[in-house]
Amino acid sequence: MARIRFTNVNKKYANGFHAVRDLNLDIEDREFIVLLGPSGCGKSTTLNMIAGLEEVSDGELIFDEQVVNYVPPHKRDVAMVFQSYALYPHKTVYDNIGFGLKMRNASKEVIDERVRDAAQKLEISHLLDRRPSQLSGGQRQRVALGRAMVRDPSVFLMDEPLSNLDAALRISMRAEIKELHRTMETTFVYVTHDQAEALTLADRIVVMNDGVVQQIGTPDDIYERPSNTFVASFLGSPPINYFDGALEAGPDGEMAFIRDGLRLLLPADYAARLKEKMGRVVRLGIRAEDVVEGTAEPGINALSGTVTSVLPVGSDQYLGMDFGGEELFFRVGKDLRHAFGEKITLAVDLSRLHIFDRESGQSLIWNAA
Amino acid sequence: MSDMPITPPVDRIDYRRRQKIGRIVQRLVILISAILLTAYVLAPVSWLVSSAFQTETEIVSIPPHWIPEHPTLRNFEAIFTAGNDEPVTYETRSGTDPAAGDFIPSTAENLLPSMANSLIVATLVVILNLLVGVPAAYAIAKIRFWGRNASVYFILITRVIPDIALVVPFFLVIRKLGMLDTLGSLVITYLAITVPFTVFILIQYFEGLPDELDKAARVDGCSRFQALIKVFLPLSMPSLVAVVLFTFLTSWNEFLLALMFTQTSASQTLPILLASFTSDFTVSFSFLNAAGVLAVVPPVIVAIVFERYIVSGLTAGAVKG
Repeated sequence: MARIRFTNVNKKYANGFHAVRDLNLDIEDREFIVLLGPSGCGKSTTLNMIAGLEEVSDGELIFDEQVVNYVPPHKRDVAMVFQSYALYPHKTVYDNIGFGLKMRNASKEVIDERVRDAAQKLEISHLLDRRPSQLSGGQRQRVALGRAMVRDPSVFLMDEPLSNLDAALRISMRAEIKELHRTMETTFVYVTHDQAEALTLADRIVVMNDGVVQQIGTPDDIYERPSNTFVASFLGSPPINYFDGALEAGPDGEMAFIRDGLRLLLPADYAARLKEKMGRVVRLGIRAEDVVEGTAEPGINALSGTVTSVLPVGSDQYLGMDFGGEELFFRVGKDLRHAFGEKITLAVDLSRLHIFDRESGQSLIWNAA
Repeated sequence: MSDMPITPPVDRIDYRRRQKIGRIVQRLVILISAILLTAYVLAPVSWLVSSAFQTETEIVSIPPHWIPEHPTLRNFEAIFTAGNDEPVTYETRSGTDPAAGDFIPSTAENLLPSMANSLIVATLVVILNLLVGVPAAYAIAKIRFWGRNASVYFILITRVIPDIALVVPFFLVIRKLGMLDTLGSLVITYLAITVPFTVFILIQYFEGLPDELDKAARVDGCSRFQALIKVFLPLSMPSLVAVVLFTFLTSWNEFLLALMFTQTSASQTLPILLASFTSDFTVSFSFLNAAGVLAVVPPVIVAIVFERYIVSGLTAGAVKG
């Protein structure tokens, strides 16, 4: 069990690359934190700093009350699962799982008991005598989990552990990892670029880009109240739609988002937060699922355009729409039938609009709260 | 019009037969090439072994006998009893007919001591190479440090200089150190030649092993050194064997430096001694060839012992392939 605190942590490499900038993060004991972001955003570097595999260039990394900047990995009580599994190919599954305990001078009886116990939980008891080369991807992943589990570490680190698995296995392993967190009652730090993994597993998500934390919050916070366009774009499938327009007064004096023939009347709480932006051009974000088809009058609180693509995805379908020269994507029910070039109107859920500053990309709704 | 064929006329070439013949010809070419290459490589060795069991007369007979007509162990006997008889001089030599095979080279008694010298030097060079080369290669391959690339280039540059150019500087250093005519002089100079190669070979291999294995070992509780010993070395057997074979054979066969630094039987190695057999008044081919066979035995044993470790696919399953 451990609480991890980053205080103004930076990571710079010898070649000048600044991988992590001014990271301030407080990870609570037993929390499940997911570091989410695109490749090269600094999330794995952050994880490696926790493990001790990368040195902290500047700032303090604290476990409970102890600064661990210079503590080597084998002296930190952490376990790690790697994207590529990193199993020792010359050892059997049994020896792979027990290696960490052996290195900590555990007795043979303790090693045997814990290895068999972990193997049973992970349903790999029948594989203990095999070598990694004789296992499937999913089985290797379980062995990697077992290797970390048996140590009963204070901090459990996972670096994209599911990204090499096929889609079905990934979903079932997600559930197992969540269960593992529940039963182990330890701090989990999990790195991924997969938004679905982050949203399903995390107590809190840390979204990173270019080494900078963009937003820290619960999955709901991150998805429903993104603090900037990067966060809003990174989560959601299809991605959120953006277009620019002006904030002006509507016919009854209420605030409206105006663009060409479109007029979106903003809810009162939005208007209160945006009153200083009246008359300014802003960027509107509408998530793909925040529209309803059909009932609305074109122009007012509804988008009209022609269908540019229809992409069925089983439970739903993605509709591409040409809206004033911009292509927007929406997710609608699979029962609706549309053809290429057809004119459609989609009513916008006004309570779920996102409005950003056009230059900085910062949310004008959630950051103002 | 209705009788017109709608497909082009059937080709009369029998492609199946053609393919079959092609395959047989291909195999035949490969087989003949392999036999010729093998014969080319094995012929000198075969003659060395065969003639070691022949008398001097039979060796010089025309046509040569690839299989001895009267196999004899006298040549080997002579090697192991050399030094027990009176010293070989011009007078003693002239009393017998060299062609009869009774002639023993004047330095014959040094053969077994020189073999021991070679063995000691080669073994020390192998051990020291591994002790120095393995940690150096691991550090360069897996640890980021200032001057890492420069180290690699520096190591490579030392191998660009031909050995002959180093003989004089080496000689001066060894003389200054007072190590002329000692085994130590050979060990030191052979290390200078072989360590860069060892490090270079091992760097290539270690770089091919996934970084995650190193990280996993360290998170699992290994220090850097333990990660090297417990994870990297067991996986590096093929390259370690290559290094062992290379350094052993280089030391075993080296002639130029040994010729410069050694003068007496205290430090002379096998190649020097074998060469001295040809500097007598007469050359005894039978004795020389028997000594040659003995000289081949240790490297062959080393190769056979280590060959089974040269296996591929040792790292399979470490990471997602």
